[in-house]
Amino acid sequence: MRKINNITSEKKKMPESKRQFCSFQMAGHHFGVDILDVKEIIDEVVLTKIHHAPPEMLGFVNIRGHVHLVLDLRLLLNFSTKSIDESSRVLLFHPNVGESFGVMVDQIGHMIEVEESLIEYRVSEENISGIARDFRKTELEKGVCKLDDKLLIILDASKFLNAVELKR
Amino acid sequence: MKQTGIATKIICLSCGIALLLMVVGCVIVVQYEIILLNKMTDIKVDEKENYYIYRLYNEKKSLTNQLTSQVNNLITLMKSVDVIYEQTFNFQIQSLLMHPMIVAAEFCDKTGHPFLVAWKSKTVQIAKTFPKTLQLKQYLVINKKTEIPSIEIIRIYYTIEKIEQQLHVLKKQEMNELHETRTNIYKQLNGLFLAQSIGSFLVVALLGATLIFSLRWLILNPINDLMNIAKQLKKLDLSVEITTTTASHELNSLAQALGQLLEGFRKIIADVKENANMLSGSADNMTDIAEQLSNHSEEAESKANIVAEASVQISANIHTIANSVEQISDNMEAVSSTSDFLFNNINSVANAIEELSSSLSHVGERAKNGTKIAEQAVFLAEKAGKTVNTLRHAADEIGGVSEFIQRIAHKTNILSLNATIEAASAGSAGRGFSVVASAIQEFAEQSSRAAKDITDRIASVQKGTFEIENVFKDVSSIIREMNESSESISFAVIEQTKAVQEIASNALEADERARNINVSIEDLSRTVNDAAENTAQVAMGANDVSTRIQGVSESISFNRQISHQINETAIVLNHLSGNLKCMVDPFKVSPQLNSNNNKKE
Repeated sequence: MRKINNITSEKKKMPESKRQFCSFQMAGHHFGVDILDVKEIIDEVVLTKIHHAPPEMLGFVNIRGHVHLVLDLRLLLNFSTKSIDESSRVLLFHPNVGESFGVMVDQIGHMIEVEESLIEYRVSEENISGIARDFRKTELEKGVCKLDDKLLIILDASKFLNAVELKR
Repeated sequence: MKQTGIATKIICLSCGIALLLMVVGCVIVVQYEIILLNKMTDIKVDEKENYYIYRLYNEKKSLTNQLTSQVNNLITLMKSVDVIYEQTFNFQIQSLLMHPMIVAAEFCDKTGHPFLVAWKSKTVQIAKTFPKTLQLKQYLVINKKTEIPSIEIIRIYYTIEKIEQQLHVLKKQEMNELHETRTNIYKQLNGLFLAQSIGSFLVVALLGATLIFSLRWLILNPINDLMNIAKQLKKLDLSVEITTTTASHELNSLAQALGQLLEGFRKIIADVKENANMLSGSADNMTDIAEQLSNHSEEAESKANIVAEASVQISANIHTIANSVEQISDNMEAVSSTSDFLFNNINSVANAIEELSSSLSHVGERAKNGTKIAEQAVFLAEKAGKTVNTLRHAADEIGGVSEFIQRIAHKTNILSLNATIEAASAGSAGRGFSVVASAIQEFAEQSSRAAKDITDRIASVQKGTFEIENVFKDVSSIIREMNESSESISFAVIEQTKAVQEIASNALEADERARNINVSIEDLSRTVNDAAENTAQVAMGANDVSTRIQGVSESISFNRQISHQINETAIVLNHLSGNLKCMVDPFKVSPQLNSNNNKKE
């Protein structure tokens, strides 16, 4: 069902040939997610810890009466974990990406608008998916966007929840 | 008997040397003889050896001749026979071997090969050829060619070993004889050496004994006598007798001379003693007289001295009085002039002090002013300090405000991001709003930067104000110190002013008094001048008296010196005579007998 959504959203944007990404930084690397997948950015997070949950799940957060699950994207991307500080932010995703969840990032960046031609997508390797080698990594990143001074790694927000399950 | 030391030592030493020389000579002679003997024996041995070699040679020659002739005889015999049988050869060869020196013989045919041989082992052996074990090469050979048809060559092997052995035995016997003879001669020589040593030792001992005896009798005894006499003389005993009955002429004459000398001395010393006694007595008398004289004159002198001293003292005193009076007169003049001067000075001092008083009151006013100004300065400095403090607080507040601005900027940033997201989700309808949102984001960033800038600057301002505050604190403390100093100054000046005013009133009074003193001093000066003139005349008279009394005293002193000299001379004389007596006293001039020798003082 999600795939269909994605396709429709991509098709919608194709004639415009421009895409917007919400960029953020983690452990000195630049990442980005599609702006259409993002619902909101939150600072001043008060986390409620979930016991017996995997370490990738940081806890619940209450935003205007709705409860959201917060994941640690650092652990998902195999970085070492880090304590929350002033510049830490939570990205909440749209309900069509996954049900009421967000990720903790080190620092939020700008909204970036780029030409479609500057993006290189990964070739989808469905043929060898049965082999399942390093499944998690290959699926989390969708492609790379070439900016003027750096490369922006584009992540697929819809894979985050799955990745937590797979990592178990 | 250690007196015999010298002579005995000399004798012993010379005897020892003589003995040593004789023994050494003896040894050298014996060694020389032994060498001669060895040479002679060696020559003899050589001669013997030559002789035996020669004899051996002769023997060999004669043997060879003999053997040759025998072989010739054999050949001649065989020639004379017509037919020769084989037995004949056997017989002949056996007969040849009968000679003791022949070891083997062989007959050879025309081809040169032997056909009949014979040799001596234990008995005579005959065969066709020699067995190979027989070594014939070590023997001498005679080859003889015959002219007999059946025998070409006769060869004879012979030896001279036996002759050599005989000769060797002979030689050995003779050599032994020779060596024996030499050994005998050695023994005889050793005996000779011993005999010579003993003989020489005996001769030396005899000589030494003779020498010792004669020396003691002829020289040592008389010298001993002389030594005894010398010992007595050493004790200053001149009463010694010298008996001259020694054997040697030289010592006799020496003793006589010594005797004569001693006698002369004795006479002289006796005379000296007598005279010294007499001299001592008269010197004593003289000393007594001189002492009396000296005492008298000393008494007189001391009395005269007392008078002289008294007169001198009187004169000096009068003189001193005159001088003092003159000096007083001079001083009075000086005082008069000084008091004039003083009067003037006091006048000017009074004026000066008045001026000082007025200027001091000025200084006091100024010091008061200074104190006031310092107080004001302290007040101002404290006020400035407070102002700076207020400034610091204001800066702190500004810091807080800028922090607040920064927080707002962050919030604005988040807000703009969210706005952008909303705009994006609105699609093309939200395009315009997206631009607005990004503008807001930019403003938020700018305001954040500005707030940070303000914070930095405020921090430096705070630092500056803190320093200023410290400086103001230092300044105000310094001004306070100044204030204290100026206060103490003004207090001191007030005190001084009081003191100066007192001094001024005193100075005025002093001025008045000084004028009075001046007048009275001038009167006094005149009176003193008169007194000085009178006193000078008295002093001159006193001086004259003193001079005369001194002349008397001097002449008495001269007398005393002379008598003192006499006394000293007498004492010296007495001392000398005493010395002389002491010197002569030790000599014993015995009154028992008139005889011999004396010596020495």
